[in-house]
Amino acid sequence: MRDQLPVILFLVPFATAICLPMVGLKAHGWCRPMALVSLLVMFVLAVGNLLLVLKHGEQSYGFAGWSASASPPLGIVWVNDALASVMMVTISFLASLCLLYSGPLSPATEKPRIVPYYALILLLVSALTGIVFAGDIFNVFVFLEVAALSAYALVALAGGRALIAAFRYLILGTLGSTFYLLGVVFFYATTGTLNMEDICQQFTKNPELLHSKAVVGGMAFLFLGLGIKMALFPLHAWLPGAYTHAPDAISPLLAGLMTKVALYGCVRVLFWGLAAGAQTEQLPALTLLGGLGMVAALAGSLLALAQQELKRMFAYGGISHIGLILIGVSQANQTAFAGSMFYLMNDAIMQAGLFFIAGAAIQHHGARTVADLSRLRRAPWLVTAFIALALSMIGIPPTGGFFGKWHIILGCLEAENYLAVTAIVVSTLLTMAYFQRLFLSMFGHREVVPDSAAGALAPSTKLAVGLTALLVVVLGLCSEPLISIFRETAAGVGL
Amino acid sequence: MSEHIQAALERPSLIAFVVLFLCGFFVMTTNSNMIKKLIGIYLLQTSVLLLLVTIGVKQNAASVPILTEKHIESPETIAPAAYVNPLPHVLTLTAIVVQVATLGVSLALVAAIYRKYGSLDENEVLQRIE
Repeated sequence: MRDQLPVILFLVPFATAICLPMVGLKAHGWCRPMALVSLLVMFVLAVGNLLLVLKHGEQSYGFAGWSASASPPLGIVWVNDALASVMMVTISFLASLCLLYSGPLSPATEKPRIVPYYALILLLVSALTGIVFAGDIFNVFVFLEVAALSAYALVALAGGRALIAAFRYLILGTLGSTFYLLGVVFFYATTGTLNMEDICQQFTKNPELLHSKAVVGGMAFLFLGLGIKMALFPLHAWLPGAYTHAPDAISPLLAGLMTKVALYGCVRVLFWGLAAGAQTEQLPALTLLGGLGMVAALAGSLLALAQQELKRMFAYGGISHIGLILIGVSQANQTAFAGSMFYLMNDAIMQAGLFFIAGAAIQHHGARTVADLSRLRRAPWLVTAFIALALSMIGIPPTGGFFGKWHIILGCLEAENYLAVTAIVVSTLLTMAYFQRLFLSMFGHREVVPDSAAGALAPSTKLAVGLTALLVVVLGLCSEPLISIFRETAAGVGL
Repeated sequence: MSEHIQAALERPSLIAFVVLFLCGFFVMTTNSNMIKKLIGIYLLQTSVLLLLVTIGVKQNAASVPILTEKHIESPETIAPAAYVNPLPHVLTLTAIVVQVATLGVSLALVAAIYRKYGSLDENEVLQRIE
């Protein structure tokens, strides 16, 4: 039973996604409770899975009875370790929160769309589960595509301009996954295996494989594809449009999870698949990714500073944080790795929280741009949550954002990479600058526009916004156990 | 340089892959018509699938790996060279399914855009929005 938990975790949202249209066809009212219950069940199972993994250690599950430990591995293997189970808890928790937040859909959305809406959310969550647990690089490709396809459709549900944004997202996303597949083909042609653990062993056994042109080219395409998926700075063009025009209840889900899970996939490939091969003379992937991370951290926050629209600003903020996490990952030491994984978790929650607030500001106060923010003064609940999240985004103790950044900086100092430290500090200052703009507009001496349309927030929206704000503080106060879990994970892959 | 060209000429399937890949990329990036963009990306994906299939090819008329009773009784009679590696084909099938699903979603999107804005040209649609 215990070794089958990852599959059960996958099947809960997946089976519900298939059953939901059948039930929802006649009874629209059943969709939301069904989806919510299934995600909550998933969350409980994910917490149970985390506790079991922490107690009994890592486990692999081989599909269809093929032994997971055979060498060479024959079947499809899912790896259930501490990092994956922590990610799983984050994903299922955030997905439940997003569903809670979405509440009754916005009045503009017609009834028939309710069924695909919930079915697609569940499909997206099950695909993300697949990426998290997948033990081979081809499985990651398939689940990346399933997640992306549901994301395109979810973005397009808003209609109007969102259709164009979704089309652009689709073209670039498909290009990304094709590049990734090409990388997988090159790896398969040279090593004859797709299993990450087996690839790692092949490279340790025959180090000369690492210098072959096919592997170098494969790595380049693999990371190019993943870079598009995680919106790494020069490849980020699809993200701001898609997140800005997506339905208000969907952008938190995408902002919180999509890019982060792609980054997680990249970390898996780097440290579980390539291991020693991640830093060779032919292709110093870690150095390159770290450099791109620095550029992304600076450019993302600079572009965020220049935005007028609230959702677009937060989207660029997310791009800069992807860069920050990549800096941490690329230092290849325990402190920076643990810090960046902790920051990854934190960033998922912060981004979801910020987009919750942006969505509520649009829906209830008609505040779409930075200049309109003064209308939020009448909504203490939103403003309080916003302050907590802003502190975490900037990185002020005692929020989770501070401890993540702190460990990343400590790791960079350990690696004597002072350029990276400078990039992080400058990016932090820029982040502070754009939040300063938001606060000025919120509390400045501007005339308050009378806000007649402001409706009361639904209790479920309040709960979702409040929980994210509370969680960034709680994560900050209890950062030590999580950091030590990630340190052990890093030690496990030989950092 | 010449040895690179020679190495490439020995593997014509790779040349076909590169040509198709670049054609797809060119069509995708240079057209503003959305259907043509989709044709380009379809070509791009297909070229990668072609590469995936060709790496599984064996020259000496290898057959499908089906085990009979006789093989199971005496496993030492199995000659690996006589069988094709089935994995690239299975991967290709999976990737084709993914590709078809992507094409379905993208055509639905283009249809929705056409119904809303009455044009398939991306620039024209953007003008109509403003």
